Amino acid sequence: MAEEKKMFKVTIDNISIDVEPGTTILQAARQVGGDVAPPAMCYYTKLKGSGGKCRTCLVEVSKGSAADPRPMPKLVASCRTTVMDGMEVKNITSERVIDARKGVVEFLLLNHPLDCPICDQAGECHLQDLGYDHGAEGTRYAFKRRTFDKHDLGPYIQLHMTRCILCYRCVFTADQVTNKRVHGVLSRGDHSEIATYIEKSLDNDFIGNVIDVCPVGALTDRTFRFKNRVWFTKPVEAHRDCDKCCGKVTLWQRGEEVLRVTARKDEWGEVNEWICNTCRFEKKHINDWVIEGPTKISRQSVISQGHYVDTVRPKETIKEVMGGRDPKLLFDIHTVSEVNKPGVDLSAIPGPATSDVFDTKGKAINPSKP
Amino acid sequence: MGRKLLLEKAHVEGIRYFDVYRKEGGYRSVEKALKTMSPDQVTEEVKKSGLRGRGGAGFPAGMKWSFLAKPEGVPRHLVCNADESEPGTFKDRYLMEFLPHLLIEGLIVSSYALGSNDTYIYIRGEYAWIVDILEQAITEAENNGFLGKNILGSGFDCMVHVQRGAGAYICGEETALLESLEGKRGNPRIKPPFPAVKGLWDRPTVVNNVETIAAVVPIINDGGEEYAKIGVGKSTGTKLISACGNINKPGVYEIDMTNSVEEFIFSDEFCGGIPNGKKLKACIPGGSSVPILPANLLLKTAKGETRMMNYESLSDGGFATGSMMGSGGFIVFDEDQCVVRNTLTLARFYRHESCGQCSPCREGTGWMEKILHGLEYGKGKMSDIDLLWDIQRKIEGNTICPLGDAAAWPVAAAIRHFRDEFEWHVNNPEEAQRRNYGLAHYADPIHVPA
Repeated sequence: MAEEKKMFKVTIDNISIDVEPGTTILQAARQVGGDVAPPAMCYYTKLKGSGGKCRTCLVEVSKGSAADPRPMPKLVASCRTTVMDGMEVKNITSERVIDARKGVVEFLLLNHPLDCPICDQAGECHLQDLGYDHGAEGTRYAFKRRTFDKHDLGPYIQLHMTRCILCYRCVFTADQVTNKRVHGVLSRGDHSEIATYIEKSLDNDFIGNVIDVCPVGALTDRTFRFKNRVWFTKPVEAHRDCDKCCGKVTLWQRGEEVLRVTARKDEWGEVNEWICNTCRFEKKHINDWVIEGPTKISRQSVISQGHYVDTVRPKETIKEVMGGRDPKLLFDIHTVSEVNKPGVDLSAIPGPATSDVFDTKGKAINPSKP
Repeated sequence: MGRKLLLEKAHVEGIRYFDVYRKEGGYRSVEKALKTMSPDQVTEEVKKSGLRGRGGAGFPAGMKWSFLAKPEGVPRHLVCNADESEPGTFKDRYLMEFLPHLLIEGLIVSSYALGSNDTYIYIRGEYAWIVDILEQAITEAENNGFLGKNILGSGFDCMVHVQRGAGAYICGEETALLESLEGKRGNPRIKPPFPAVKGLWDRPTVVNNVETIAAVVPIINDGGEEYAKIGVGKSTGTKLISACGNINKPGVYEIDMTNSVEEFIFSDEFCGGIPNGKKLKACIPGGSSVPILPANLLLKTAKGETRMMNYESLSDGGFATGSMMGSGGFIVFDEDQCVVRNTLTLARFYRHESCGQCSPCREGTGWMEKILHGLEYGKGKMSDIDLLWDIQRKIEGNTICPLGDAAAWPVAAAIRHFRDEFEWHVNNPEEAQRRNYGLAHYADPIHVPA
């Protein structure tokens, strides 16, 4: 008998949705979409057992269920907590959650080198997004960050342990996608590291997927290393007949040149289907592939910079904002600003301007002072 | 003189061996339970006794047993947590070293109640010689028909296995212990599912502390109701306290929860007072992870009542003015001890022992240690104290396992009660290297914080 499946009603940030029993809070929130979905650094839908480690997806359960309406005393990891019927969850409407998440982001960035300008992941890095969305402006950490040496894990993958946030995704990938895992986590605490114990290379047909699942730039593609910034490349969906995998990929092109091949990812940055090493690392010519069309990239992503789709231009112009004035040049603002002390003639200062120069209420300064 | 249930025979010559232990009345509870009681009756007795878990959290043991899922055809396990690594706690070591057969006896009865045919003792790796003692005790019990197939003709099979840990504090957390026992990296699991549903090898499992298991023996011998008469309120039975620090007589003491803290520290029956005529400054009453209390709040609660050595009284006032019974690691500080230095020591321990799985604990413990190091060695700023408070607040409650809380609480309590000492360290960086802040007002008559 095809009995009608009982659906659980769950309310997240005052938005109600019916989901199947066994759904996690995170998945329910993703069905609602938008800002309601908590960020997730370690959880990966395709990887069994992942999640619960990074603590960025913490939410407050203000009502346990219809049967047991008590709130949960602690914040819970939404990626590993399943919904109950009548559950009420607070994500961005909870002060506690916002505060805890800010703390978690600070902890994640504590030992992160912030070498985004030279990191291949910049532009598609989940930690960057997380930092922009939920982090504080600066760090309060005043000590030396922990560092590790770079390691080449075979011919295709390079490990920058310094950037790692220990999400364990690559460990789960190697466990579940490849048939033998040779890397894991060594040591414990803040000195634990992803490693192969005695430097081994990762050689498995599907090991390249660890690059895709890595939320930061810890595991990078050696064939793409320092070739380009992701926002200068154009993502194109393509496929080929592959006897090992599905062959459906995204090509990252600059002109006609294929710089990088990755699996296709959904809007939450998770791959749709795993691809093999041959597709990822060896087929770097446009003739190897059948092009399907450009990949849809979120408008908010830095990758889509310069070619926004469906943007609405703001109605008001600078003229309206400036109260009728229409500044053409920067020094137009400079000359009317109280802050910038237009009385100070910069060319009269013998050396670089300092705050001492400007503290005389706009009067001419003493040029003898260095 | 309080009643002793566990350590009564601890110093009988040769009690470590089966013959002497049996002659002194050992293994009576096994005979009683297996011959005259059903497993549910044993559980019921433990429930009636009100026995609370002795590992630190104080969860009622009988309740924990009754939560055990019992699906058909799936083996169940009892695991004895002997991974005692909390700084200041050494009661299980004493128990296992002197009375190994008491633990084995408790394990047989508990295994019978829970239906566990394979019972494991997960013992701390550093207790290498105790492994030998336990294994000898197991062999003796097996040779005398108390372990193995068809124990005492009851048809119940039980075997006890001893597994050594590799020296990680985190493996004292029950799910990390199970992971380690399975041969994996000792990372705590994410709960739910709880071990009572999915534990060792995904089978229903109960994890109990050594002392909890040992306490089952007098419960079965004398009856749960008799056991519940000892103690006060919900703190029933006797508790082993491992006292250390600045006291005249450090050691393991069995208390029946009716003594006051003052009596415990100063009476000759127990710790025997503070050596060299020093004054009491502070005390960590339940092992390193529970909040430290200054002398005034230790001896009297915020309401002005005498603080007693039991679960309720020690936690009276919550964390604002109270602490916890914890695992019974009673650490006493005299006036010469520096709270900042002590907090640094604890922070270093938790940094070293954090498993590194979830980010607040992994990064936060290291950060706290570095800040405390700066404060202790004259490089601190006044803002560091508030920063420490903020860090501990963001760790507590946001981690997978209680180790995060355990790392946060000592720091929080030290700042809460000894803030002026931290400030003195900031203001007098050089003097702080040479001498200690001293007593200040901590030993003064009670003052109740707002």
